[in-house]
Amino acid sequence: MKKISIILIFSVFILTGQAQNADFSGFVRNYTGVLYKTGDLSILQNTFNLDVSKTGQKIGFKVNPMLYHYWSDSLDLRLREVYLDLYFKNFDVRVGKQQIVWGKADGVFITDVVSPLNLEEFLLPDFDEIRTGVEAVKLDYYIGNNTLEAIWIPQFTPTEAPKPGSIWYIQPHFPAPATFDWSKSSITPSLKNSEAFVKYTALTSAVDFEIMGGYTWDANPTMHVQKEFAVNLQTHQPYLAGLNITPEHHRLYLAGGSFSTQIAGFVLRGEGAYYNGKYFQTEDPTAVDALSQNDFLHYLLGLDFNIGKVKLSTQFVQETILNYNDLIVNPEFQNTMTFLARYDTQDDLLHFELFSYIGLTDTDALIRPKITYDFDDSFSILLGSNIFVGDRDGRFGQYQDNSMIYMKLKYSF
Amino acid sequence: MKNLKITSVLIILAMISGFNVSAQLTGLQIIEKVYNRPTGNDQSSNLTMTLINAQGKQRVRKLTQYLTDNGTLEKKIMFFTAPADVKGTSFMNWSYSNGKPDDQWIYLPALKKIKRISSDSKGDYFMGSDFTYDDLGDRHPSQDTHKLLREETVNGVKCYVVQSIPKDEDYMYSKTITWINKATFIGVKKEFYDEDGDLLKIMHVNSSKKINGIIVVTKITMQNKQKNHKTIMSLSNVKINSGIPETKFTERMMMRGI
Repeated sequence: MKKISIILIFSVFILTGQAQNADFSGFVRNYTGVLYKTGDLSILQNTFNLDVSKTGQKIGFKVNPMLYHYWSDSLDLRLREVYLDLYFKNFDVRVGKQQIVWGKADGVFITDVVSPLNLEEFLLPDFDEIRTGVEAVKLDYYIGNNTLEAIWIPQFTPTEAPKPGSIWYIQPHFPAPATFDWSKSSITPSLKNSEAFVKYTALTSAVDFEIMGGYTWDANPTMHVQKEFAVNLQTHQPYLAGLNITPEHHRLYLAGGSFSTQIAGFVLRGEGAYYNGKYFQTEDPTAVDALSQNDFLHYLLGLDFNIGKVKLSTQFVQETILNYNDLIVNPEFQNTMTFLARYDTQDDLLHFELFSYIGLTDTDALIRPKITYDFDDSFSILLGSNIFVGDRDGRFGQYQDNSMIYMKLKYSF
Repeated sequence: MKNLKITSVLIILAMISGFNVSAQLTGLQIIEKVYNRPTGNDQSSNLTMTLINAQGKQRVRKLTQYLTDNGTLEKKIMFFTAPADVKGTSFMNWSYSNGKPDDQWIYLPALKKIKRISSDSKGDYFMGSDFTYDDLGDRHPSQDTHKLLREETVNGVKCYVVQSIPKDEDYMYSKTITWINKATFIGVKKEFYDEDGDLLKIMHVNSSKKINGIIVVTKITMQNKQKNHKTIMSLSNVKINSGIPETKFTERMMMRGI
C-alpha cells in the first residue's frame, strides 16, 4: 500500500510538472558500503531524486521528492523541498518547505542553523542531503547587490539523531538505571513557539559578508537529569539509585556573521556565532537538573588556495563555552581542523578528492578520500572510503568500528 | 597646370604617407587595436561547447551568458543549462581594467550557496574544454611583449602575424602567435606554445557576423595538438546593446537562474 501511495505521489508530481511545462531533473543512485572490520554491509541504498521546477517572471515553484530504498526493502519518501516563489521588483517571497543555507563554512554548521540536520548517518551524506527542509516563509529584499533576508518558521524541526539499532547510534552510559520522560521532547507548533531569523548579505568587490541573528530552539534536546538517591541498608550511606531524564528543547538567541575575501590569490573566509543561554551537562551536585547555562561561541577561519592544478582548502574551528567551570562535562575548548584537496584531470572526467575532519582536542579524525570517474555527462562512478581514527571518546574516534569503503553509481538526468 | 602638378604630388605624398602609417603599425599597436575594438556595452548569447576527444567521442556543455562593460568594469554571468549534473550552476566574474584581480563567484544549486573562488586559477580548463579561463577573457596588451612577424594571407584574408611573449615568466604559455585580419582587426587564428616552446593548441575562428554594427565571433575551434582533443564553441541568439540591467549581475540572479 505504501509503495502504491509513493508511485501515485510521484505520478502526481510528474503530471503536475508536465502540465506546467516545468523542468525535470534529478538522479538515480546506488550506494553500497562495506565495513572494514567485519565485512558487513554498512549501507545498501538506492535513491531516486526528482526535481520538478519552473521559474517564471513573477512566479516559480519547486517540488523535490527523494525516494530512498534500503536493503531491507523498506521505502523512505522524503519531500526535501516543496515551495512557491513569488517575484516582485525589489523582493522575493518563498513559501513552503525549503532548505536554507547560510554562512561561508564548508562542512561545519555555525550560522547555518536554519535548516536542521539529519545526522542518522552521522556527517557522511552529501551536504545537500544532510540538511532537512523546514516549513518557512522567506522574504528577500534586494538593495543593489545587498540582500536583507527575513525568515519565519512556524513549526520547529529538531536535528534527526541516529536511532537505536543503527551503527551510528551511541548507547549512552549512565551511572545508575535511567528512565526517560519524553513528554517535553516536542514543541507544539504555534505562533508563540515559532522561530525567526534575519540576515543581511553584501557581495562586493572587496569582501562578501553576512550578518545574522536568530530567535530559535536548540536543535538538540537538553537532558534534564533528576537523581534518585537511596540509603544502603548495610553501610547506611546514600547512593545513586536512579536517574529520571527529561529531554527538552530550549530557546536560543544567536547572533553572528561570516565573510570571504580574496587576498593575493588566496580566499580568506571566516564565520562566527554567539549563542546566548545554551545548556550543558554538569557534575555540580548543586546544579538544578545537572545543567549549567552558559553562553557559547563557535567560530571558524578558513583559507582556499591552489598549488598548481590542486585546489586546497583548510579551516580551523573552535567551540568555546564561556564562563566555564571544571564541573561542566563538555570541554571548555573544542578545536577541529578540516582539510580539503581536489584534483581534476583527464579532461575533467577523473576527480580525486580528500576531505578530513581532524579533532585537535580529542586527537581523532574522519578521513574521506574518494575518486570519481565520469563515464559521460550523465553517468559516474565514485569509489571512496570513510576512515575514523583516534581517541574512542572523541567525536570521530567513537566510530572507529564504522570505517568503511563504499561505491556510488549515479545517473543524472 | 602648376596647380595640377602640385595636386598630383600631394596625392602621391598622401598615398605614400598612408602606406607608411599602415606599415608603421607595431605589434603592440595591432594588438591594442584588437583589444580596443568595439564590442558593445552589453551582450547576451547562448553558448554551446562541443568537446571531442581523440576517439571522436563528443560531450556537450550549454550555457546562457550575459556581459556588460562600462569601460572600467566588465561583469559577466553564466548560467549552465547542460549537462544535467551542472544544470542550475551559475558563475559570475567581475573584471577590472585597472589590473585589480578579477572577482569570481560560483553558485552550486546542490549546496545552495554562493562561494567566492580564487581568480588565481586562470590556467584551469573551463568545464573540461580546451579553453582555459584566461583564453576566454580579454588579456591586456601590456601583459605581453608584441612583435609583428610578417603579413600573410589566410583563407583569402590578409592578416598581420603578431608574436606575443608574456612578461610573466610563469605564465602558462611561452608565446602565442596571432593572425589578425588587417581590415577588421579580428583574430582569425592563434597558436599557443607551451612552457617548453612546443606547439600546444591552435584556435581557428570559423565564423563571425555583424550584429547592431558590431562584429561578433560566433564559432571558434580550439584544437589541442598534443592531446588530439578539440572544442568547438558556438554562439547563438546573440544580442548586442539590448540594455541588460545591472541587476542581472547580482547574488539574486545567480541563485534564481536565467
